[in-house]
Amino acid sequence: MASNHLTGIGSESKQLATWYFTFAAILFGAQLLFGLVAAIQYVMPGFLYGILDFSIARIIHINALVVWMVFAMFGSVYWLLPDETGIETVGIKIGKLLFWIFALAIVIVVLVFLFIQVGPASDTTIWFITEGREYIEAPRWADWGIVVVALGFVGNLFLTGMKGKQTGIVTVLMADMIAFAGLYLAGMFFTDNISVDQYWWWWVIHLWVEATWEVFVGAIAAYGLIKMIGAHRQVVEMWLWIEVAMLFGSGILGLGHHYFWIGTPEYWWEIGALFSALEPLPLVAMFVHVLYDWGKTQGAEMAKEHTDEYQAKSVITNKPAFTWFVLNAFGNFLGAGVWGFFHTLPQVNLYTHGTQFTAAHGHLAFFGAYATILVGMFYIAVQGTNGIKVLKSTKLSIWSTSLITGGMLVMTVALTIAGYVQVLVSRAQMGATWAGYFDGQSGVWFAQAMDWRLIAGVVVFTGFILLAIDLLTTGKNPVHKR
Amino acid sequence: MIDPSMIRPGIALNDFLTIFVSSALVLVFGGFYVGIYTAVKVKLLKPWTMLFAYMFWVLTAYCLYLMGSLMHVGEFTAKALVVAAIGLFLLPFAVYYMQNQVHEENEH
Repeated sequence: MASNHLTGIGSESKQLATWYFTFAAILFGAQLLFGLVAAIQYVMPGFLYGILDFSIARIIHINALVVWMVFAMFGSVYWLLPDETGIETVGIKIGKLLFWIFALAIVIVVLVFLFIQVGPASDTTIWFITEGREYIEAPRWADWGIVVVALGFVGNLFLTGMKGKQTGIVTVLMADMIAFAGLYLAGMFFTDNISVDQYWWWWVIHLWVEATWEVFVGAIAAYGLIKMIGAHRQVVEMWLWIEVAMLFGSGILGLGHHYFWIGTPEYWWEIGALFSALEPLPLVAMFVHVLYDWGKTQGAEMAKEHTDEYQAKSVITNKPAFTWFVLNAFGNFLGAGVWGFFHTLPQVNLYTHGTQFTAAHGHLAFFGAYATILVGMFYIAVQGTNGIKVLKSTKLSIWSTSLITGGMLVMTVALTIAGYVQVLVSRAQMGATWAGYFDGQSGVWFAQAMDWRLIAGVVVFTGFILLAIDLLTTGKNPVHKR
Repeated sequence: MIDPSMIRPGIALNDFLTIFVSSALVLVFGGFYVGIYTAVKVKLLKPWTMLFAYMFWVLTAYCLYLMGSLMHVGEFTAKALVVAAIGLFLLPFAVYYMQNQVHEENEH
């Protein structure tokens, strides 16, 4: 079959992208399932007692989140490379091999987590079971495997970018993915001093996510806007450079808000406060960007047809994906911006640090900033692989989007209420004492908030099931324009 | 019995809710400011609605002031918050101007 970069049919790179997306969607389901188990255990501590420990459910919940997003990010790059560079991805066979190595490694790591839930703190454990570091618990062999896969992926990207057309999007991605692969190394060594150890650990947790992932999202948003509403490339790419500058400008030293209480010098208070206060600005600017591009292109369409916005033909060629991209702009703003900002200054972070406020922020930020846009990319792939010109929203896509988004918002509010109780009782009233910790968690408001979190989790999981069905079936739905 | 030395007097108990709500509103109002500004510029809203954009920026600045006061922020952080407020005010002008220039250069 002839290669057709526009539709995705016949492109090996796009075929590989769909593999990545499929595995990402499976891991997304696993992430939600284990999150649900952990949420049940919060409410009913005896649930699966002796079979699945809360700590393991939590590890899989968080690690599956990170890994599904990495898979979806790799898939997104393999999807857009032929469109952007005008050529097939270089070294695609190695890319395919690395996919299978990566997928197999993840399956083995999860199975080991499930079968060996407790054990000694030894070198064998670090190498083969878990490194035990929060959020990046993968054993060392898997760490090295991830580095090899990431370098192979970066190699594919660079060779293709240098051989084909070098658009702004590809150039930004090339630079960003170097940082993406390099920063992971900061989480692969230990030091005897816990402050020094945490100092480097935050390079992975903060810089990886708040710098390289955010820039990645900017590049994907740029690609999506060009594909879905025909936004002008020069405008979109110019914005991308502004976003890169703003994100690195505020994001790198915004890292300071993680250095308030780990034993680092006090000047981090000032640095963290200043740059954390500036961190929402790129997110607000992203808002301008999406509105500007949509307004300009839709406005041009209206002017062409001499009608108003309700009668003019929509310029959007993929409604479900565009919905997820718009949710990304709002979700990033709310989750990373609003929920991040209200506990980022050291004066108030002293009370909120380590409470459910952090969980509320983490849940909405990861969902809003990353999950949304990656699900949008799933829909772009569905459109491409099925040769659809205009992909319309279906009842299933509307229901799944509403349930997942609504559930996430309720979950965030519930966790915020729980965090507020902890701030007042455990921290402000009882001075972060041992007794305060338990008193804060035994109150009615906290317990009820955890119940609501669980209910919201069930809603999100139901939405995910509908999303999976829609992604699998909508390609054949005759309602779309081909 | 709680050791009194463990109780931190930095923020009054009754002020926490106001701090959280005002700091959340900083970005919500800021978002309205930026959103209305851009929507007016791309002609999705009528020009007179720009007044609301500036009203939202004033509310944003007030919320920043309220939040900072109740938190008893230091001198440096207070200056940082003023910079953030001014930055937010200028942001849509700068981004819109640059986007528009690029748009004009490529379309006309």
